[in-house]
Amino acid sequence: MLRKTGILMGRNRWLQIAGLIAIWWACETLVRALALPIPGGVVGMIVLLALLASGRVRMAWFSRGSSGLLDHMLLFFVPATMALLDHPELFSLTGLKVLVVICAGTLIVMVGTALVIEACFRWSARHAR
Amino acid sequence: MPAEVHSILWAVFWAMATLVIYGISLLTHRRLGRWWTSPLLVTWLACLALAFSLHATYGEYIKGTHWLVTLLGPATVAFAMPIYEQRDMIRRHWLILAIGIVAGTTIAIGSSWVLASVLNLSPSLRLSLLPRSVSTPFAIAFSQDVGGIPELTATCVVITGVVGAALGELVLKLLPLRSSFARGALFGMGAHGAGTARARQVGAEEGSVAGLVMVLAGLASVLVAPILAPCLR
Repeated sequence: MLRKTGILMGRNRWLQIAGLIAIWWACETLVRALALPIPGGVVGMIVLLALLASGRVRMAWFSRGSSGLLDHMLLFFVPATMALLDHPELFSLTGLKVLVVICAGTLIVMVGTALVIEACFRWSARHAR
Repeated sequence: MPAEVHSILWAVFWAMATLVIYGISLLTHRRLGRWWTSPLLVTWLACLALAFSLHATYGEYIKGTHWLVTLLGPATVAFAMPIYEQRDMIRRHWLILAIGIVAGTTIAIGSSWVLASVLNLSPSLRLSLLPRSVSTPFAIAFSQDVGGIPELTATCVVITGVVGAALGELVLKLLPLRSSFARGALFGMGAHGAGTARARQVGAEEGSVAGLVMVLAGLASVLVAPILAPCLR
């Protein structure tokens, strides 16, 4: 049974994507039913990680489907950004200020996080010897 | 033409238009490869310009393209694969990762607060901006907890993703970062899913670190929100 599923899953990218959608859907339903503040996708990711770690699921079953989804993940964000169409008040000085906060804030977060981690790595590399 | 057929035709048009624009932007990016040709940025601006010139509302647009947003869920599940692939590296450096996430979350919330105060934004707008660097579902939960406007937060989160995916590349050019952990974490911390997708194009290690950081930063902010809420009100 396990082998047969593996052979079937390993061949077809669309079947793998369908499998990932099924995991997400099951977890999303569970999260809704229990009213948890965690997104269904994250629960699904943890479930899939647990399945991989336990050896019940092999990497080859999902690797092509997952890279297919992840390669085009940027596209999935676009429709949500169009909510701007319903917020004409943001096309003003306030909107410009919000954009400044977002741009400057994002730069600060990125530079800060990168420097902290880089410093930790250099420190541990020096003390490892 | 009956109104229903009309709206279905528009929905199909927007789905097709988005996919075609995305396809063209991918080809352009492959040719030019600059940070400002990022497919997310180009597709976003082009769709926005098209929707404006055709006087479309968000309701009309999202009717045809909501299935794309829904695919973000399965894409998050798919992140289990790159994270599992890099499990040994993550296990070796978990402490550095944890320090990075705590520092990053503190900087993210702090910098939003300070910048919004300096620019004199209204309190509700300021609260809505706080969780903008974590992915949407977490950010909405955070925004509700501290008393922001979840809808506005969602919009800010996505704009952060678009802007951050492009800015991250700029940061990589300016900072001489030796570790792939630092290169990946800055994308996952600063620009959630959009940044993570971008980090995957930088490298496999960067991509999986970004994915892990994105998820952990989201969880961290949901845990922090109930503690922060009384201080902010």
